[in-house]
Amino acid sequence: MIDQLSPSPDSKEYNFYFGPAHAGSGNFGVKLIIEGEKVVRARSDPGYLHRGFEKLMEYRMPLQNAVLSDRICILESLNWNLIHAEAVDELMNIEVPERARYIRVIMAELSRIQSHIIWFGVFSKATGFDTGFKVAFGYRDYILDLFEMITGGRVYPAGYICPGGVRRDLPENAPDRIRKVLNKMDEMIDLEQLENSTLHSRTKGIGVLKLEDAIRLGATGPVIRGSGMRTDVRKDDPYEVYDRFDFDVPVRKEGDAYARYQIGIEELRESVKIIKQALKDLPDGDAIAPEFKKPRLNAKIPEGEVYIRNEISRGEAGMYMVSDGGTNPYRVKIRGPSFLHMIPVLEYLFKGVQIADVPAIYWSLNICPADLDR
Amino acid sequence: MDMGLIPTLFKNFFSKPMTVSFPDESIPIPNGYRGEHQYDIDKCISCGLCSRICPNRAIEMVEAPEALKDDYPKRYPKIDIGKCCFCGLCQDICPTNALTLGKNVFLSTFDSSTVIKYPITKKEE
Amino acid sequence: MASKVESILKKIDSRFDVEVKVKRDNEAWLSIDNENLIDICGSLKDKGFVHLSAISVVDWIKEGKYEVIYHLWSYKDKMLLNLKTRIDREKPAIDSVIPIWDSNAQIHEREMHELFGLKFRGNPDLAPLFLEDWNGPPTFRKDFDWRKYVRENYYDKNNEREAAYYD
Repeated sequence: MIDQLSPSPDSKEYNFYFGPAHAGSGNFGVKLIIEGEKVVRARSDPGYLHRGFEKLMEYRMPLQNAVLSDRICILESLNWNLIHAEAVDELMNIEVPERARYIRVIMAELSRIQSHIIWFGVFSKATGFDTGFKVAFGYRDYILDLFEMITGGRVYPAGYICPGGVRRDLPENAPDRIRKVLNKMDEMIDLEQLENSTLHSRTKGIGVLKLEDAIRLGATGPVIRGSGMRTDVRKDDPYEVYDRFDFDVPVRKEGDAYARYQIGIEELRESVKIIKQALKDLPDGDAIAPEFKKPRLNAKIPEGEVYIRNEISRGEAGMYMVSDGGTNPYRVKIRGPSFLHMIPVLEYLFKGVQIADVPAIYWSLNICPADLDR
Repeated sequence: MDMGLIPTLFKNFFSKPMTVSFPDESIPIPNGYRGEHQYDIDKCISCGLCSRICPNRAIEMVEAPEALKDDYPKRYPKIDIGKCCFCGLCQDICPTNALTLGKNVFLSTFDSSTVIKYPITKKEE
Repeated sequence: MASKVESILKKIDSRFDVEVKVKRDNEAWLSIDNENLIDICGSLKDKGFVHLSAISVVDWIKEGKYEVIYHLWSYKDKMLLNLKTRIDREKPAIDSVIPIWDSNAQIHEREMHELFGLKFRGNPDLAPLFLEDWNGPPTFRKDFDWRKYVRENYYDKNNEREAAYYD
């Protein structure tokens, strides 16, 4: 039965659109049917940001696709660059040099830290902890200055992680500046836990997701770690050089919004640990495979297919690429974690809650509308 | 953190402000930033590679205006700043480094005729 | 270890007609027949493949077939299996896997129905997901000429800057 989108007659229910052009919900709309102060049913309404990436990528070469891939979700652009570069590397059998692998891990972890900082900032603001918003966006600026020095742009890295390696080598003073920024991150985590009572009372016990439901609805990443399952693609199925580093995977059993918030803070600490270890072991050498130093037009991709899974900050991302021997891919399918979190999980969690809990649950799932619509 | 009012006032009075007064001074932009294009026509060999690699088709090879056709017989790139995404692939592929990206970021304008950059303008001799 | 993948594959192999390609020590690609889909998926879920990562569809227009691929992950054994099956392109229809993987499968099938026109028998909710008021053919098929559609409906001949995109 399709969900009834209109209130039933002879009842006190009414429509409420938590809408797409609204500052409280990002670029995504949810239709709620409310009775009094309680939500009875919810139905997601995606499609506001549909740009057709899967079709656009069929008409461009892999290097041009790398520039396109950071717009899949701009808030964690380098992680999406990485998954696209890994898919093309495996199809074309390219051997990526060691130094390039370490630089890729450093940039991906910096992008994950930056994405979690945005998550805290917006989550704190939605639940009333306004100082947290200002602290978070102030400290995010240090990471944007690092991106400007290394890749040439503050928010759009323009395919920095490309098939074959990385587009430019790190500048001379980069490792020292990265270490200074990491010290500032440690300072920020202590400030972010400064005032806990508002956040605590608005999120403890709200939006509980049990483990069987999480598996049945397809949740991945921090959402399923908050419900008790210890899983992380970087540990279970390591890619790049993640198997050489020593880091923990934080897990909680309660499954409510406060547990997911705490997991976010602990993951930020683990990312700082990974970058410190990578900077210590950074080897010398080339930053890109020798045959890709100058961009190549009309390089053919051999026939084949590949499915790559990565762990981005919102969950598990997947990319399936098929090639039939031409210069462009034949079909690209992108699996975003928010596709599952925003439609089945959200509609399940919104049944029977009060209106005041709607922002707390919505932002605790760490969703990105761009990832859903692609 | 727990200082009183007078010591805090004193400390902030003598330290440097966090902001800069914009049109007179600005925050320095590092080298390697991807800003507006700079084109040197004497180094260009008209290979057309920049036009073929642009992901948004922002570069088109055009001929010189009539009066200057003797000095510049071949085709040269015309760049549409409105379509450009400033990715820098044209800079990486140019074999003679004729096309580079500089540091100018102040490109907003009310005049739509400045959005398309021609390689040769009539004023050049 | 190749033995781990092969030991799981041996348990399915004997009953059904399966073609196997092993890629790394924890990844394998299987090609199966359309009719055995529900039985094989049910037996794989009992062996620990509880997570359906994605359902993808590829349109092979020259051979006249759609290829449907199910990507499965097992948390217990840490293994990735990809099941491929082919169906006819003119009237595409396949059984839904909702009885096995519940809401996770339902949303993936809804998206593939909208983009490729593929009917899933047994899916209760196949309403459009992204497009609103769309009357044309399903948009990701290779015989839908989107350039012609855009040129007829949206090309503004008076604007000289748009010419580069439509030629």
